[in-house]
Amino acid sequence: MIRPLALIAACAATPALAHKLVVFAEATCNAVTVEAKFSSGRVPVEGEIRIKDGSEALLATFPLDATAAQSIPLDGLATEDGLLVEVDTGSHENYWILTPADLSAACQG
Amino acid sequence: MYRLCAVAALALCAAPAAAHYGMIIPSDPMVSQEDGRSVELTLSFSHPFERAGMPLDRPASLSVTHEGATTDLLPELQDAFVMGETGYTLEFPLARPGTYVFAMEPVPYWEPAEDTFIVHYTKTYVTAYGDDEGWDTELGLPTEIVPLTKPFALWERNVFQGIVKIDGEPVPYAEVEVEYLSEAEGAVAPDELMVTQTIRADQNGVFTYAAPGAGWWGFAALSEADYTLDQGGEAKSVELGAVIWVHFEDWAAQ
Repeated sequence: MIRPLALIAACAATPALAHKLVVFAEATCNAVTVEAKFSSGRVPVEGEIRIKDGSEALLATFPLDATAAQSIPLDGLATEDGLLVEVDTGSHENYWILTPADLSAACQG
Repeated sequence: MYRLCAVAALALCAAPAAAHYGMIIPSDPMVSQEDGRSVELTLSFSHPFERAGMPLDRPASLSVTHEGATTDLLPELQDAFVMGETGYTLEFPLARPGTYVFAMEPVPYWEPAEDTFIVHYTKTYVTAYGDDEGWDTELGLPTEIVPLTKPFALWERNVFQGIVKIDGEPVPYAEVEVEYLSEAEGAVAPDELMVTQTIRADQNGVFTYAAPGAGWWGFAALSEADYTLDQGGEAKSVELGAVIWVHFEDWAAQ
């Protein structure tokens, strides 16, 4: 499933312009911690987090809360096929792919 | 006939014009999340242009530095043959974005032909997931090339700049050897002087080099240690090398 997710993400990717946005997400068993920063190191102060499934269907949106790491609950979300975590600040956007393996590993041990 | 024999004899006797290089070559200097979640490293000691390997003993140290934290990687090394000689490989998981600096201190290599030991402090930089923070990390090695140009994401024919340091201090007019890692055996240069090119840093220890083509390029700033090591009961000099490997990409944005 990582391949379809990667293809989706590649289609969604925006150009790596100056002050590009770097997005990273890390799963725990019931939440995803989303990190976003500009290449300058600044943390975006406004924007939106979109959680999509492996078919790029929108599952949920959350306002970006201007913290360096924001916890998003996974309660009730379909994560079997992985997740695409998009961060959109209006002027810049980027994404992180959480594969099924990433998500299942987060629930082990 | 005599002339032909003489030429053949010279060819057989000719010593490699290439320099010795400690090498850490990653499978990819810029890992995106679509590439996977790890990078493979190959460690060796060689003449890179000629792909002539030399044995690399198990290093004294191998580490990775990321976000200010340094981790020992020696336990993860796997034995391997690289360019026909002993070397090592390592699969390293890239847990988070950022720049990972891999550094190796080899055990002293006795080079009888030069009557000296060689210790090349060798490093390379890998960026993960689009985040280049940490690209100018200085590790504080006994001798080190600190990049002034991002040591990845370079087009061919871009210049690479670095500052040569010994014990954290710039080395004015340091001599820097530059050599290309041939991708296959049989690479030729129009003259042996072009196998290893030599440049000097300026008065601030800063050197500049424009790579003529894409691929891995090694930069080695050599100095003599202020200590000796014993070889057969005799004190022998030690050549220290500050080595950095930098990848230049094909110019593809035409």
